[in-house]
Amino acid sequence: LIRPTPKLLEWALALGLGAVFVYASLDKILEPAAFGPSRELGPLPANLLAVTLPWVELLTGLLLASGFWRREAAALAALMLLMFVAAVGAALWRGIDIENCGCFSVSGKGRRAGASLLVADVALLAAAVQLARTRPTALTTPGGAA
Amino acid sequence: MRSRSTARVAAIVAFGAGLGLAWNASSGRGFALDRNVMVKEGDEIVPVAAARARLEAGALALDARPVDFYDMGRIPGALSLPEDDFDAAFTRLETRLRASSDVLVYCAGFGCEASHIVSRKLKQRGIPAAILEEGWPAWQDAGYPVEEGPRP
Repeated sequence: LIRPTPKLLEWALALGLGAVFVYASLDKILEPAAFGPSRELGPLPANLLAVTLPWVELLTGLLLASGFWRREAAALAALMLLMFVAAVGAALWRGIDIENCGCFSVSGKGRRAGASLLVADVALLAAAVQLARTRPTALTTPGGAA
Repeated sequence: MRSRSTARVAAIVAFGAGLGLAWNASSGRGFALDRNVMVKEGDEIVPVAAARARLEAGALALDARPVDFYDMGRIPGALSLPEDDFDAAFTRLETRLRASSDVLVYCAGFGCEASHIVSRKLKQRGIPAAILEEGWPAWQDAGYPVEEGPRP
């Protein structure tokens, strides 16, 4: 019997999450110098991350949306989101006034790393974890291969 | 099964990172990996101890943070030239800036770009301005004197 709902949900989550990752990566790929991760991200050189992270994001997003290696891509997406949550949380925790100090903005007023961003990242993280746990099913296969 | 998944995750990371490095090397928009992203060709970055010596020798310190932060605490003698209000502040300070032979800009550290932007804008206007490495937090951490309260 065909059980479309979980599959549709899975594809909706994957397409949505994939689109977010692709969208988030493009800006950073085109303007790498404007994407300055602060040293909050840890001991890795900030420039190395600025150069490589957007491309890993792009690839992850494309894999999520296409369904190829989806569980692995979702697990990687979850890892990256954990890192973002930690970075934003650390910035908030340290009381860095993110809206005013220019720490995260590209130009005077740009991105904000605030509580709303934290909430959005946690929601995306939940979607990624769900996808990483789900066995992938092709949209065209009748539900339940067995 | 698990090890194959781990290998795939590693493959995605490696391939993505490789693409990034290749793009960085070939796109013409790349930059050096061993430097802070905000540092551009021609920027002069001064460590905090050297900055203090220059200030004691008569250099002029400029605070690129929003004025509220300047009021809360600043390098003694620093003038406020906020990045978010550059044009107005520059008009006010232009004479003093042009009279000064050594200018040092700082902002909030932790990836703050305001000092870099202010320094570049000053350079465009013919005023060379160095940047204090890691900005205000570095000055505080070094235990150097600070000045507080709004300035007249």
